[in-house]
Amino acid sequence: MLTKIDNKVYITATSSATCAGNNNQELFNSVIKGISGIRQDSNYFLGASPAIGTLKTRDDFYDVLITQCRNILETSSLNDFSDTLLIIGSSVGGMAKTEEIYFKTGSYEQIDPKYHNIQTIATVLNSTFNFYDDISFSTACTSSSNAIGYAYEVLSQGLYKNALVVGADSLSKTTVGGFLSLGVLSSEAAKPFDISREGMNVAEGIACLLLESEAKESSVEVCGVGYSSDAYHMTHPNAEGLGAKSAMKRALLSAGIEAEKIDYINAHGTGTKANDNAEAQAIASLFGMDPYVSSTKSVTGHTLGASGALEAIISMMIIEEGILPKNLFLDKAENREISLLKESKKHKVEYILSNAFAFGGNNCSLIFGKVK
Amino acid sequence: MKINLEILDCAFIRAEKEIEDLQTKKLVPKMVTRRRLTRAAKIVIYLADQVNFTKGRIVYGNNFGELNATANIINAIKDKESISPTHFQNSVYNTAVSYLSILHANQEEILTISSGDNTAKNVLKLGAVKALQGDTLLLLVTETLNIDKIEEVNHCIDYLECGAALKVRLSSDSPNVDPTKIQKIKGLPLSVQEIFALAKNLNKQKKNIIEVTL
Repeated sequence: MLTKIDNKVYITATSSATCAGNNNQELFNSVIKGISGIRQDSNYFLGASPAIGTLKTRDDFYDVLITQCRNILETSSLNDFSDTLLIIGSSVGGMAKTEEIYFKTGSYEQIDPKYHNIQTIATVLNSTFNFYDDISFSTACTSSSNAIGYAYEVLSQGLYKNALVVGADSLSKTTVGGFLSLGVLSSEAAKPFDISREGMNVAEGIACLLLESEAKESSVEVCGVGYSSDAYHMTHPNAEGLGAKSAMKRALLSAGIEAEKIDYINAHGTGTKANDNAEAQAIASLFGMDPYVSSTKSVTGHTLGASGALEAIISMMIIEEGILPKNLFLDKAENREISLLKESKKHKVEYILSNAFAFGGNNCSLIFGKVK
Repeated sequence: MKINLEILDCAFIRAEKEIEDLQTKKLVPKMVTRRRLTRAAKIVIYLADQVNFTKGRIVYGNNFGELNATANIINAIKDKESISPTHFQNSVYNTAVSYLSILHANQEEILTISSGDNTAKNVLKLGAVKALQGDTLLLLVTETLNIDKIEEVNHCIDYLECGAALKVRLSSDSPNVDPTKIQKIKGLPLSVQEIFALAKNLNKQKKNIIEVTL
């Protein structure tokens, strides 16, 4: 359990690239208007055409990654990253490159271990920028949520000057084929929380957030973080959402606010039968019908290790713009004990809770708030 | 910033190819769970038992993840065979500690990092930051590189399976062990070095305090 610590922590600059937009404004426009970046694609797995999300730009993934970090420098007050702790969240690292070499040569010989592992993202960024230090989290789909949680902890305790959180995951045959083998990929854009939902959409994405202890214009505060483990099953969440509920409760405790203060929940909402049902039960038992709830993954897809950082940017823009995003493609909700949005709506937002849950029962909930 | 940690207990294990007796049958009585465990999961379950840690926060690190599960998946794709769902669920970097949490119904915060050759150093840093909350934590590192054809890419690591554990808590005492002065162990992956070397060289009969610099 985290204790409340003195320094406030703010998100002061952000940049993103996804299937739903080449930048934050395009992304938010897609999320609010319901323009999905998900398309059927047969390139990733022989004999199957799951609906997935590839980056909207055709540029090289790592070039896009570097561009996002340059955007942070250009829009922040930093001259460089020499005082910045780089905190990566990624679940696949350099897997796509490993596959490319292995499928071409049938051998591991030409694989450079430095460009296979999770650290690949930091290695690429360290070749262009000079960071104070770096650390890479890899807890599957909670990777970049845990990265934001760590940034919040170290800055609130004054241990580092500032932190750049980078959530980044590219598509690979391993991830697309792997989720196919579990039978959880949808053949169309996902319908989180809908009774007829088929499953999820794997997608690639990059999301960068600069966190500092001083607010800038249009900053959003990181108010708290809650972590938990299901200790239940490697891929299935506890059916009643007990692990999810525990993470959300701990986030509220960390932020020092009551559940009634939460205006909107950006759900993990993958579109799988198991996740959405468990998450809805957890939200219902802790918050009832009070906060509005939606998942933005019908638009962005599930960007795996990048999703927590990406949804932090979406949450920040919701607070800035005062518009809540709808559950795109939601027709008939399976669970009627939570307030699922069918249309985007203008709404004053003070606090948002954002969920991320992962393989192994790893859970992380973050709370963001308007700067006061 | 410097944070001092007391090392309450420690354990380590290694083998050039495969560690022989991880006591998995005794430690994981349910066959349905035991048969799904990865090698790294068996190692962390063994190490946690050695330091008597069942519930609490855990910081875990590995450089290359679940290499065997990953190799099985890419070979299946290359050979146009179906991917095993078990191999896929076991391929994420946090697999080993997730099985450990399931075994002990440990619902606390469990983090996994992968920082290349600096993994063990960063497990110490992350563990030190987390320890500021005042609880006792388990710090773990493993590498499991014993897969077919590993010699095509491995030219310097002698121990293909290894792991180490430190049970730690925050301390206000002065440091009496300098991790930088402990001799590194030849042939081990760099990613486990700092924690493995500490675990191997500590005198368990005395109080051991280290200083972690962020």
